[in-house]
Amino acid sequence: MKTFLFCVLVLLAILIGAYLYRVLQGPTIFDRLLGHNGISTKAIILLLVIGIYFERVDMFIDISIGYALLNLVGALALAKYLEQKETL
Amino acid sequence: MQILSVIFISVGLFFLIVAAIGVIRLPDVFSRSHAVSLTDSLGAFLMLVGIALHEGLGTNMLKILIVLALLYILNPVIAHATIRAALRSGLKPWEKENS
Amino acid sequence: MATRSRPVSSEFLFFKAMALFVFWIFLSASFEWVHLGLGLIFSFVVAWLNSGHSPFVPKFRLWLRVLLYLPWLFYKIVQSSLNLSKLILHPELPITPQLIPVKSKLRHHAAVVLFGNSITLTPGTITAEVDGNNLIIHSMDKSDDAAIKEIESKIADIFKDEEPDL
Repeated sequence: MKTFLFCVLVLLAILIGAYLYRVLQGPTIFDRLLGHNGISTKAIILLLVIGIYFERVDMFIDISIGYALLNLVGALALAKYLEQKETL
Repeated sequence: MQILSVIFISVGLFFLIVAAIGVIRLPDVFSRSHAVSLTDSLGAFLMLVGIALHEGLGTNMLKILIVLALLYILNPVIAHATIRAALRSGLKPWEKENS
Repeated sequence: MATRSRPVSSEFLFFKAMALFVFWIFLSASFEWVHLGLGLIFSFVVAWLNSGHSPFVPKFRLWLRVLLYLPWLFYKIVQSSLNLSKLILHPELPITPQLIPVKSKLRHHAAVVLFGNSITLTPGTITAEVDGNNLIIHSMDKSDDAAIKEIESKIADIFKDEEPDL
């Protein structure tokens, strides 16, 4: 079980790298915003898997709830701000 | 129970990989957002159900289900806000040239 | 304190406070008297502070129907996820992205919210703009048109007994 969870962690990190490529490369700023959103969803899952890897789910789960709520506020504020800008 | 959770996590991981390939391959913002929403809906659901099955019954399982409900409520809002901002700032969706 | 636009029923305040208290118990997961008492006090305070702005009365039959709608929506999500995965993994990328303007026949604010949320949650279609009951939907495949119609008729069926307010 431990090795399986370790493989899952490594794969999730590689997937975050794929989204990071989109954040760095993206032609428009909305691509970067989208990549940010994808990274934060992955980070929530990553925190939970780290929790069962170290057998301290009760601690990591509170962090992931807080992260999900903060992510909503940040992404929504950025999208509302960019909506008002005329030029990119 | 352990085997079931391993199966769920593996299938969820498959959908996450497909979504990451889509985010790199697809041509513009509008179609990439579909790939991100694929991750959010099915991939995260399967991963979190696998983790909850690994934990077994208890308060931890309930909290994982709360995280899942939060993801299902909040992610459409974020995706819609991003796409609306892209549309209002004047981006045109990509179309096939030969059609 | 802000002015209250409508009188608040004490039953509704009690109901809201109890819902918040159950949520507190889920989050804190401890059953000591200090924590439970603090949670009870805070849930009543939050329910009282929020009560001025809600034109909202509990409709249990409607909520039950929405709850029964969710498994069907999940079935649609699985179906269209598999379809979209096939499109992404196809070597020639046979996608036909398009913007579809939809004028829905829904007559409730809550119904339009539920409609837009269901469309965005289904992979392959996403709501790009909402104004009243005119929606602009970005879709990935030609066959998504029928799925949108199906979701709309299902939601119109849920809200058929309510007073129209749009």
